Amino acid sequence: MSMSGNAVTAAVNRFGLGGKPGELASVHDPRGWLDAQIARGSDAGALFANLPTSLNLLREEATLQAVRREFKHGNRGRRTLLAAGPQASPADGKTGAAELQQALRPYRRHERDDLLAQAAARYRVASITDTPFIERLVHFWSNHFAVSVDKRPARLFAAPLEREAIRPHVSGRFADMLLAVETHPAMLLYLDNIRSVGPNSRLGQRIAMRLARGGNQDKGKAGGLNENLGREAMELHTVGVGAGYTQADVTEFSRALTGWSIPFPRDFANGKQPQSAFVFRANAHEPGARRVMGKTFPAGGFAQGRAILEFLARQPATAKHLALQLAQHFVSDQPPQALVERMAKSYLDHDTSLAAVYRTLIASPEAWDANARKFRTPQDFVIASLRAAQIDLGDKPQPVLALLMNLGEPVFDPRSPAGFSDASANWIDPDAVWKRVQAAEALSARVAQAGGQPLGLAQDILGPLLDADTEQAIRRAESKRQAHATLFACPAFQWRV
Amino acid sequence: MPSSVQHPDQPAVPEVMLSRRRFFVHTALGAAALLIWPQLTFAATGSDTRFLFVLLRGGLDGLESVPPYGDPGYQAMRGALALSPSAAKPAHRLDHVFALHPSFDFAAQLYAQGQFMPVVAAAPPYWGRSHFQAQNCVENGTAKPDGAQTGWLNRCIACMPGVAGLACAAVMPLTMRGSATVETWSPPLPTEVNPILLQRLQPLYAADPRLAGPFARAIAQQQDSPVPESGAGNMAMAGGKPHQKRAGGLPVMMAAAGGFMGKAGGPRVAFVEDDGWDTHANEAAIVTRKIAELDAGLKAFHQSIRPVWKRTVVIVATEFGRTARINGTGGTDHGTGGSMFLAGGALRGGRVAGSWPGIGAGDLYQQRDVHATTDFRSVFKGVLGAHLGVAESLLASRVFPGSAKVAPMGGLLADVRAAA
Repeated sequence: MSMSGNAVTAAVNRFGLGGKPGELASVHDPRGWLDAQIARGSDAGALFANLPTSLNLLREEATLQAVRREFKHGNRGRRTLLAAGPQASPADGKTGAAELQQALRPYRRHERDDLLAQAAARYRVASITDTPFIERLVHFWSNHFAVSVDKRPARLFAAPLEREAIRPHVSGRFADMLLAVETHPAMLLYLDNIRSVGPNSRLGQRIAMRLARGGNQDKGKAGGLNENLGREAMELHTVGVGAGYTQADVTEFSRALTGWSIPFPRDFANGKQPQSAFVFRANAHEPGARRVMGKTFPAGGFAQGRAILEFLARQPATAKHLALQLAQHFVSDQPPQALVERMAKSYLDHDTSLAAVYRTLIASPEAWDANARKFRTPQDFVIASLRAAQIDLGDKPQPVLALLMNLGEPVFDPRSPAGFSDASANWIDPDAVWKRVQAAEALSARVAQAGGQPLGLAQDILGPLLDADTEQAIRRAESKRQAHATLFACPAFQWRV
Repeated sequence: MPSSVQHPDQPAVPEVMLSRRRFFVHTALGAAALLIWPQLTFAATGSDTRFLFVLLRGGLDGLESVPPYGDPGYQAMRGALALSPSAAKPAHRLDHVFALHPSFDFAAQLYAQGQFMPVVAAAPPYWGRSHFQAQNCVENGTAKPDGAQTGWLNRCIACMPGVAGLACAAVMPLTMRGSATVETWSPPLPTEVNPILLQRLQPLYAADPRLAGPFARAIAQQQDSPVPESGAGNMAMAGGKPHQKRAGGLPVMMAAAGGFMGKAGGPRVAFVEDDGWDTHANEAAIVTRKIAELDAGLKAFHQSIRPVWKRTVVIVATEFGRTARINGTGGTDHGTGGSMFLAGGALRGGRVAGSWPGIGAGDLYQQRDVHATTDFRSVFKGVLGAHLGVAESLLASRVFPGSAKVAPMGGLLADVRAAA
């Protein structure tokens, strides 16, 4: 099979993150270059050292809550707390609130610093990595298992999910990645599983008795089955919406997932030190066998849900769903059916191995078709710009975060468990195009002015994609800054081809 | 289905002919052409009406925005937060029971003209007090937080062939997600674009078949952008807080929505959102500021959509009301029944809609919240049916699936026939 002339640009732009200076010229064997990255794995490890783990973050949240409670009790006194009806006078309340805010401030600042440090590391890695194919795959899976930080309880954990559940398995078995994700606090919090209680579990029975005695009627607090994680794990994470499962399957799977939870603040109280960010709460787990998509899973506590996940991961529908999404991401919005089927087969033949699927993808002629192309999403665009001009944000990622928000792809904030759209049509509209030109101007102000000539950079980055008109436009720019803006804003830079 | 609404300034068009035209537009041009509003002029239906939905995220306090000062239980329940037309800072008196928050100056003027109407004790069908679950319900148009992955307003647009929607947001909100064509708009970055750069880019984009159209339209849109670029209060590479969202605020966003909708062939259906309505502490000050923003937004929208204001209805909603009692920090916590607002020249307003359950201690839901007596969906259905001409059968099945038992609220429009 002969590779098209643009195979090198395809490897660097469509499979990678867009070239760093010299990258395009360094790739002689595009498939081999990608293959070596699969074999080697990410080169990013060291840059993620010293970032907080989910367990750290849960502990800090527990501390924060303890401060808040202590403050409340201490400030108003127990008698006021127990009394029903109007409480402290408004003036007292106001001072109290201000003092509480004051007490919480250091914790909030720490939390913000943590979030910024994690974002800084993410974009630093993306802009300097020499394994950009792996990095793109990490972002792909992170979006596949989207956790949106607009849901406040989950906001601290989206970035850790990527590091702790996605990265270790990015070229491993999908079944392992799936288990790591569904047991991660980010997903358990985001999809409301932490308090999902089986109605016939010990805890469920206690709640039922309390309700029968006319106790707490508050709908929001009463424990019960929550189907959110079960449903999305089937619909979005594995078999996909058209796979023929029913509401009964969703409910049964959700029953199996009852008890999958995280350490609560009380689990950290009195010097207790949970060792894992995942907790299986046997007393909330629905007893009995479960039947999901025609197969019966015997009772078995945590192992029951794990077995269902493994079963779902091995479904042909899952293979097709994942293969289609990967092909859509790497080849085109409407990828050839034969390619998708080949990738799906490879997945099933190799024990859900993602490395096998990637190898099948890059070994397929369709992946190198001269017509294959994808429009750069805002994140692709920003990362490609950072890489091209080696813009170093240091430990201050705020400008990039603000830019991504304004371009419509705020970091870890797709506002839906379905993640950001991967279809070009969703990113190409006049508002988006205009903002991209503005973003190109803004980014160009960050390019170090010393160093080489912009035209040389454009040739280096675009290679054969640099057409005569674009070259002329860059040549005619009245300043280096305008030349860089032209490079970032030109149509050739907006595509992964 | 209600017949198309006829307006005095528009000739009646026979329904049969309209349907055929809609059909033609839908099938012959396909989705690509529908992306472009300026080309949609001819696709406008006989009732060239406009609808704006404003979502206030966080939970606006209904008892603060529409104080029931005439309810005998009110003063005792609200304490320091109680408002009244006879207070030092007087609330705008609406009738012998209700008033509007003092910051609602423009809304009170509209009310006097019959163009503003609060709906009291309203809530989505979900009563669980979680922001996200409740917002999901308000947006997906079902009774369950995970009842749909698309939004009711998108599904409504999908029932209106040839109509495109507009979301004034950087990220497509759930309300507007789905198969129907919706464009997004948000304030431009404050970055100045060098006109020479644009000149240089023009021929390059013209040569890219996929990007040529959007680029040309972007330039055209900039030339008559509804807001000045510098007024966006936005942030670019210069800095800004990463988690600060939806820059611009209601006045900017609503002015922009009105600007687009007011143009001939502009989007008929639009969405604007705002947050910061979650008032657990120091509520009086926050609500005063936020309602002033909403009021300024209404005024800006009224101004920018002026040519079609009389064919316009606005619905303002929030995910839940708040507790009747004040908490220990001068605020209120998540509750149930809240207030909703309708505005517009096509509205039969100047009255308070909804059924008031009272806020005596015995009237409250779970001894804490205003009981909800109106399901949001009945108001939505009432407006979408009578004002946008969406058939009731579609409203009950497609736009708000499973809502057959929720009857559309009647008599919402100034138009005589809509009252039937």
